[in-house]
Amino acid sequence: MHDETVTVLENRKVNAKYFKISFRSKHLASGVEPGQFVQIKVREGWDPFLRRPFSYYRIRGERIEILYEILGRGSELLSKLTKGDRLQVMGPLGRGFSREIRGKKRILVGGGVGVPPLVFLAERYGCDRFYIGTKSRHEVMPLSEIRKFHSRVFHTTQDGSYGVRGLVTGPLEVWFKKDDFDPEAYFIQTCGPTRMMERVMEIASHFGVEGEASWEERMACGVGVCLGCMVWTHYGWTCSCTEGPVFQFEETPPRETWAVR
Amino acid sequence: MVDLTTKIGPLRFKNPVTVASGTFGVKDELKDFVDYQKLGAVITKTITLHPRPGNPMPRICETPAGMLNAIGLQNKGLFEFVENKIPYFRKNRIPLIVNIAGESTADFSRMARALDYHRKSITALELNLSCPNVEAGGVRAIREKKLIAKTIRAVRKNTRLFLFAKLSPELGDVLESVREAVRAGANGVSLINTVRGMAIDIRSRRPRIWAGTGGLSGPALRPIALRYVYEVKQAMPQVPVIASGGITTWEDAVEFLIAGADLVAVGTANFVNPRATMDILSGVRVFCQKEKIKSIRELRGSLVSYRRS
Ligand SMILES: Cc1cc2nc3c(=O)[nH]c(=O)nc-3n(C[C@H](O)[C@H](O)[C@H](O)COP(=O)(O)OP(=O)(O)OC[C@H]3O[C@@H](n4cnc5c(N)ncnc54)[C@H](O)[C@@H]3O)c2cc1C
Ligand SMILES: Cc1cc2nc3c(=O)[nH]c(=O)nc-3n(C[C@H](O)[C@H](O)[C@H](O)COP(=O)(O)O)c2cc1C
Ligand code: FES
Repeated sequence: MHDETVTVLENRKVNAKYFKISFRSKHLASGVEPGQFVQIKVREGWDPFLRRPFSYYRIRGERIEILYEILGRGSELLSKLTKGDRLQVMGPLGRGFSREIRGKKRILVGGGVGVPPLVFLAERYGCDRFYIGTKSRHEVMPLSEIRKFHSRVFHTTQDGSYGVRGLVTGPLEVWFKKDDFDPEAYFIQTCGPTRMMERVMEIASHFGVEGEASWEERMACGVGVCLGCMVWTHYGWTCSCTEGPVFQFEETPPRETWAVR
Repeated sequence: MVDLTTKIGPLRFKNPVTVASGTFGVKDELKDFVDYQKLGAVITKTITLHPRPGNPMPRICETPAGMLNAIGLQNKGLFEFVENKIPYFRKNRIPLIVNIAGESTADFSRMARALDYHRKSITALELNLSCPNVEAGGVRAIREKKLIAKTIRAVRKNTRLFLFAKLSPELGDVLESVREAVRAGANGVSLINTVRGMAIDIRSRRPRIWAGTGGLSGPALRPIALRYVYEVKQAMPQVPVIASGGITTWEDAVEFLIAGADLVAVGTANFVNPRATMDILSGVRVFCQKEKIKSIRELRGSLVSYRRS
């Protein structure tokens, strides 16, 4: 774990919705697994106060890239940074996606800004199929970013402006229903909006496919000391910044049951 | 060399820099950033007799220059702490202040007795009499003032350990609470715990944290904390005070020392800068060197008034 002041190499828009920021750091780039994240202080001072968690998107040598969308003030300020600006970054944090998936084939299911860590995963360890869901074609990952495995990508958009219309779980379910589909042969790794991941988990459990999901919780410290980032698992509230953000499907009961604890 | 040694009654600390309960983990979570042996002391997250699962999510929310939290005292309970955590601090010779809370006076007594058994490994106890985030019977009732005295007396009967009572302005008259705490047997006080606040998501119209309200901490809290530390030290200079409330930089720590704080506890700042304690410690030292202050004692309680006395 390191905390470093880095210099922005590049920060630009990659499509209507996403920005990509890159910087260089030997320590922050070493030993990173896809699914791990960094905590970024988007600017000095106490406004905004907390750091913001972002997943590693790509690492090339010591160069690190983060793909992000503007959601609120922190990410907005991040998008205003330009080459040469300084940034405080802590990482690598958390536990990433499993590299070993019991010899099974990798199916990736991503939505929104859950896609970048999966792209990292696919680039590093390969994948059999990659399902990407977005609202419209404006948010689809630029081809240049997913060139390596583009042929395996299945796109869905909610408005039908690109790929199949509907939710990403649609084509997944169609495939699972096929007679020759063998649930034992595949392992799902998913990251994206909570509702999407829950739907993926539902289908997976229905068809008996194993997998893991990366949960997005609000965080303060990112290192396990504030206890603010909990995910409910069968063994109680579990710290998503240190034990997660990736959890096995079978570890986490449906979210609507969480609040009753 | 600046002498940062801080004496509180029979206790001796290398320096006045410590951490606020609940912001530094229960063991060595920040070891990649912090040299624990350099700290004046470590104050643990509140330990309760039995494990507590804590509150549902969301538990935290950012606010201007600070945050709200309602963690709900999630912890693994006293037994686990004694088994797995105390040996670590003893082995590494890290001065340990154990923060405890009970759901009843009886809980407090039992914990005090159990910890007294380990008193060679413990520097002091800090009684959390002010957590704003627990609604369960006993802990909540602590908000009633007379229970403070009752709780402290119960603990006092069961341990020889040095006792700090951690109070919050939520209790009403802080000066009076401090007096009562000391009368009941507390050796010092910790000021202040968080102050309850609220934030609402205007789209969902829900509170931003599950519990509805949560404790405000961070720089936003600092002026209020400073005021209480100052007022208490003015009225009762002999009562040792562990100060917490937005201490984020070395300048903040110096401010609290000038107001009279004996120890300065770094809290929420650890979340934003995991090296905050180390930065503050070296900052205070350099400041003293530059200002030709030979001992931290010269700084402590050295506020200069506009009024002539
Ligand atoms: C492990 C992890 C990995 C992430 N990876 C990425 C990524 O690769 N790309 C990307 O664009 N986003 C990612 N996010 C989401 C990102 O952290 C939020 O978009 C960001 O914190 C929003 O900050 P803001 O100031 O713009 O929004 P605001 O709404 O103003 O933020 C207010 C507070 O809420 C928190 N918050 C708001 N939305 C989220 C959210 N969705 N998840 C967690 N905290 C939130 C903020 O951190 C901040 O503390 C990730 C989140 C987590 C937990
Ligand atoms: C996330 C969080 C958890 C906390 N948990 C505890 C706790 O368990 N026991 C306690 O006495 N105080 C707890 N506190 C209060 C702090 O110890 C401290 O008194 C308060 O936050 C003010 O200091 P600060 O502004 O520097 O954080 C907690 C504070 C935060 C932010
Ligand atoms: S973010 Fe603080 S414990 Fe996970």
